[in-house]
Amino acid sequence: MAVDKKFIGREYGPLTYEIGKEKIKEYAAAIRNEDPHYMDDEFAKNSKYGGIIAPPTFAVIYSGMLAAPFFMDSELNLDFAMLVHGEQEFEFYEVVRPHDVITTTGKIANIENKEKVDVVSLETYSKNQDGKDVCKAIFTFVIRKR
Amino acid sequence: MPSKDIKVGDEFNAAQEVDKYRAIYYAGASGDFNPIHIDPEFGKQVGLGGAILQGLCTLGFVAKAITDWTGDPGSLKRIKCRFAKPVHMGDTITTEAKVSSIEGGKASLELKVTNQDGQEVLTMTSADVEL
Repeated sequence: MAVDKKFIGREYGPLTYEIGKEKIKEYAAAIRNEDPHYMDDEFAKNSKYGGIIAPPTFAVIYSGMLAAPFFMDSELNLDFAMLVHGEQEFEFYEVVRPHDVITTTGKIANIENKEKVDVVSLETYSKNQDGKDVCKAIFTFVIRKR
Repeated sequence: MPSKDIKVGDEFNAAQEVDKYRAIYYAGASGDFNPIHIDPEFGKQVGLGGAILQGLCTLGFVAKAITDWTGDPGSLKRIKCRFAKPVHMGDTITTEAKVSSIEGGKASLELKVTNQDGQEVLTMTSADVEL
């Protein structure tokens, strides 16, 4: 059954996520990115940021959290077994640092009903504890019709 | 590269091998434990030819190629892609980038992301870096 276009604009969140320094290092190691800005306290202290920062795509973790309530939305009734991640876009603003508390809200930005697939875009907006924008993300999912 | 020296037409590239356990490391760090990524048998059953790497891990490799080139992780302001082809463990992912334009203190990059057979695993890939 096609995903109903009436759900365009449906909102999720807010969800909050506190950034941990060791989590940054774990994530950086997982994407094989041992940049000293993420891994080396001494280097980072002397960098223009004055301390460890998160890799830009760490946004996957704090903004991606919003995918859970979206996937679990029983009214939306997504056919999860037929769903793939089709496209991704990130815009980055303030850098993210350990102990930042990131609040993410989001909405269904678009639903397209095509012949063989539905395409659903989830747009998320993340701010830090100072109210400054850190990331806007668009997760686009493609759901093949059975 | 110091940002003031970046000009239209500049190119760079980087390669990353996807080791046997990469999707498991990425699952642990990201929470994406979808069985298509960590269970080769399941991957085969659903027609993917084995376990496939999380697309956002591939995009992480591309972001690394860019920020290694600029030398400043904070310089990456936008990145986007379409996940066009599955990436398998053992693949080698190459990012080829070219500066397509410079405007308003930002350089736009066109990116080509391929596997060892020259197939594009990401398409419509682009990024902006702050100069």
